[in-house]
Amino acid sequence: MALIKLNDLEIEVEDGTNIVEAARQHGIEVPHYCYHPGLSRPANCRMCLVEPYGPIPGAPPGTIGPARQLATGCTTTVRSAPPERKLEEKYDAIVQTDSPRVKKAREDVLEFLLVHHPLDCPVCDQAGECDLQDYSYRHGHDKSRYLEVKNVPPKKDLGPDVLLYSTRCVVCTRCIRFAEEVSGTGELGLINRGSHDEIDIPRSHEGTPIQLLDNKLAGNVVDICPVGALISKDFLFKSRPWFMEKANSVCSGCSVGCNITVEYKADGVYRLKPRFHEDINQHWMCDDGRLGYHYVNSDDRLQLPLKRVDDELTPTHWADALTVIQEQLSEVGAEDIVVIGSAQATNEDNYVLQQFAHDVLQTTQLGLFGQLPGEEHKFPQFTIEADKNPNTAGARTILGSANGNVVLEDDALWEKVSGAKVVYLVSGAPERPLGDAEKAALESVDFLIVQDILPSEVTQLADVVLPGTTFAEKDGTFTNSTGWVQRIRKTIDPPGEARVDWEITQQLAKQLGGEMNYHFAGEIALAIAENVPGYADATHQNIADAGIKLAGNEQ
Amino acid sequence: MVEERRILYEHLDVPDINTFDVFRQYDGYTRFEKAIAEYQPEEIAKMVLDSGLKGRGGAGFSTGEKWSFVPRDIEPRYLCCNADESEPGTFSNRYVLEKNPHLLIEGILICCYAMGIETTYVYIRGEFTLGKKMLDAAIKEAYEKGYLGKDVRGTGLNIDIYTHPGAGAYICGEETGLIESLEGKRGQPRNKPPFPAVEGVFRKPTVVQNVETLCNLPFIVGNGVEWYTQMGPTYADTRFDPPKPDANTGTKLYCISGDVNEPGVYELDLGLTCTELIEVAGGLRGEEVKAVIPGGSSAPILTHYELDTRLDFTSLTLAKSMLGSGGIIVMNETRNIVDCLLNIMKFYAHESCGQCTPCRWGTPWVRDIVQRIADGDGRKETITRPKFGVAENGRWGDTGETEEIYEDLDLLESVANNIANVDTMTWNTICVFGIAVSWPAVSYMRKFRPEFEAAIREGKLVTLPVAEATVPPEENYAYQQRFIPKEFADL
Repeated sequence: MALIKLNDLEIEVEDGTNIVEAARQHGIEVPHYCYHPGLSRPANCRMCLVEPYGPIPGAPPGTIGPARQLATGCTTTVRSAPPERKLEEKYDAIVQTDSPRVKKAREDVLEFLLVHHPLDCPVCDQAGECDLQDYSYRHGHDKSRYLEVKNVPPKKDLGPDVLLYSTRCVVCTRCIRFAEEVSGTGELGLINRGSHDEIDIPRSHEGTPIQLLDNKLAGNVVDICPVGALISKDFLFKSRPWFMEKANSVCSGCSVGCNITVEYKADGVYRLKPRFHEDINQHWMCDDGRLGYHYVNSDDRLQLPLKRVDDELTPTHWADALTVIQEQLSEVGAEDIVVIGSAQATNEDNYVLQQFAHDVLQTTQLGLFGQLPGEEHKFPQFTIEADKNPNTAGARTILGSANGNVVLEDDALWEKVSGAKVVYLVSGAPERPLGDAEKAALESVDFLIVQDILPSEVTQLADVVLPGTTFAEKDGTFTNSTGWVQRIRKTIDPPGEARVDWEITQQLAKQLGGEMNYHFAGEIALAIAENVPGYADATHQNIADAGIKLAGNEQ
Repeated sequence: MVEERRILYEHLDVPDINTFDVFRQYDGYTRFEKAIAEYQPEEIAKMVLDSGLKGRGGAGFSTGEKWSFVPRDIEPRYLCCNADESEPGTFSNRYVLEKNPHLLIEGILICCYAMGIETTYVYIRGEFTLGKKMLDAAIKEAYEKGYLGKDVRGTGLNIDIYTHPGAGAYICGEETGLIESLEGKRGQPRNKPPFPAVEGVFRKPTVVQNVETLCNLPFIVGNGVEWYTQMGPTYADTRFDPPKPDANTGTKLYCISGDVNEPGVYELDLGLTCTELIEVAGGLRGEEVKAVIPGGSSAPILTHYELDTRLDFTSLTLAKSMLGSGGIIVMNETRNIVDCLLNIMKFYAHESCGQCTPCRWGTPWVRDIVQRIADGDGRKETITRPKFGVAENGRWGDTGETEEIYEDLDLLESVANNIANVDTMTWNTICVFGIAVSWPAVSYMRKFRPEFEAAIREGKLVTLPVAEATVPPEENYAYQQRFIPKEFADL
């Protein structure tokens, strides 16, 4: 640990911490553009200048004063110094981040950053979450002294989801470094020189793109762009950031479990942004997850329970749908029922389902359903996993947690389904095509209950369809492939009459005379903590925003 | 009359000196042979330190001291010869490369021996096609004669030289920009520290030396330290106790251009005055000296009041200027300083690499302000400034005095100083290109302010007579010396 005197504060930080991070840890802002904790540090924006103190050359030993040159806070790291090199006999470094020199330097740099900036905040997507705005407000001049003609480099279409408004660019090169270091694809570079510097993709002499910014991590460059230069086409002109509410959640796109922030308004989810988690996704998320939220807002979402009348799925009301199910279930024996949980649903959903099967239906025949596996993509600092379900590990453990429960998957499951009379299938997977064997098995079922979010091949075969909810509409926990249990949070209300999945199951259980009375997801998590091996610490309170790692998954 | 002292250039005009055989007739490679026969590598490094040789590329940093920073336990180490001579007004390395390339090779060999280096890269300015051709031919010859390659002359040394052409960027003359370019990246200077001596080419310890510096080495080894230190003045820096010798030893290749009768490269002892130098170059062309640029276009300008300034590293630093690369440009009374500054600023705005913010957007801004003044569109405001005093009505208050304010000159100075502050010598940029921009901008404007004011007032370029165009030293802090001069005395 190193002891630093930062302005008037005496703070302790770990060896190797830079001044920007040390200050941030203690609530002091050192403005910066090019520095990003997940990337290399070129120190080219010159915004994070700080004033280090040290021995004055020529002065008597022990006298310290400000260094002649300001230093960049991002590249100045502090380390525990040997006793003879301590300053004022105890500090490893003395740094001023708000001295008059530093403030002047920031003002000057900001003035330069703004000379060619178009000041088009009223039509800029970044307005409201823009470092240029914020720092200008806090550290900049109040007027411009620039009278000359501004550079107007062209707006560029860099790839499927990324637009570049070159006029707003401050050439911090974060995006270039991201493409080189994290995604390893290197599509971006600087063209021209000096004040004509522009970010661009490789182009022929005629200007036609040779390579587009078209990798599965491309969307991250929009996040790390400190200004409004790189803009997501998906979000372009959709909303002002201050109108959206934010909730910490977890991406449901694959089993990595990237930490995200869901930004939403009452009428739907607007965008997903990655949230830092040191062991899972660092600062990043993939575009599959980032842009994969649209099904949540879909107009096709199931809003009412459906039941098959004359071979047609017809909307009905909940009481009716549950009564129909009750009738069917009371006619068959436990051995003819198969209950299938979902790797798309939360641990809480699956726990209630498992409890319903075990305690109420008294069947131990459980299955696990989920999205079909996709492709694995490996990048130098990021992996997208092949398992496209957020909660395979959690669902598997929890469905099998009660005495004698058997969790069947894939071929074994479909074999079992073929012989069953009633199947209660929880899906929740958007756009889930069915294989031939799966289809045949489900067609052979006498009475198929499907709980899903969108009309799909599965719901077409159902006798009763119950409208469930997506990750954005409920609270709960997901367990990722490396054993991290993390929370998702309710953001928007479910569409129409759709209900949270565990509530539907609980209602059904009550209808059949079961004793189940959970009021909120956290309550179920307490039950899980009590009954499921390994999950003893996994209460919502403990998990919070950081998640907890299950015992036995330490590496 | 001062005589030239030709050491590096002594045999420059000998026909075919670029061939090994002729070079050999004039003591070629004997200094290298003496070095390996008589001295240990550490002794050579000690000799270079004792000789007081300062880097000739621009910064004037002690070569021996630079070598002492190179960690000797990290392998491999590299030598990088900076032949990217691109400072406007400088053209001395070019003659060495084109006419006497073997001298450079010998210098490289001595440096490699002293520093235990096996690989040398010579980064040659792309425009020096002839220079590169001659050097390549000389290197080939040296390989054939066994002075390069494996086991040089049976000594067990392995020394290779590779030449690499630049692609036309001024900034690649900056040592870390050069290294980046050499590594095949965009030519943008690195953040320092680490300095190249610790982390240079391919992140290994690297000695970066100018062509002229390396060419001095054979003579230091051949003739001894004592002989070398006779040339040029050595001052005593009395800020230190005991006073630290501040050597400006050896000769310098001065590239004299502009309004002189015989422009060209002259090899002279360090420490001559501007007047003497102009005399050497055939005298002034014209009536009067208006200004002298002492060290390439980035050096602050000297006025006719300062012609007795000695042209060596220390004296010019004291005069708030620098010797830089030794590119001396003389201007007579017909030159318009605003126009000169515009020319220089166009160059720097074009050559800024664009890596860091102040320089990327500051240099074109400075250029645009000077352009505006030169076009006659400079802003002048005549304002009534409330000055406290006894006013016309006999009461205490506003005197109603008017004052002319040249807003654009204040802006020019402020913007230039925001890139790099010439008064405090601090810069917000990554490399010293920032100060290379603001030095001329601020010094020209401060020292020749009447001419700038005239351009704004008249709405066109006005060339004033020399006496009127220049601000006398006592009236302007542009002349102020950064160190108190009496603290320096001749040894």
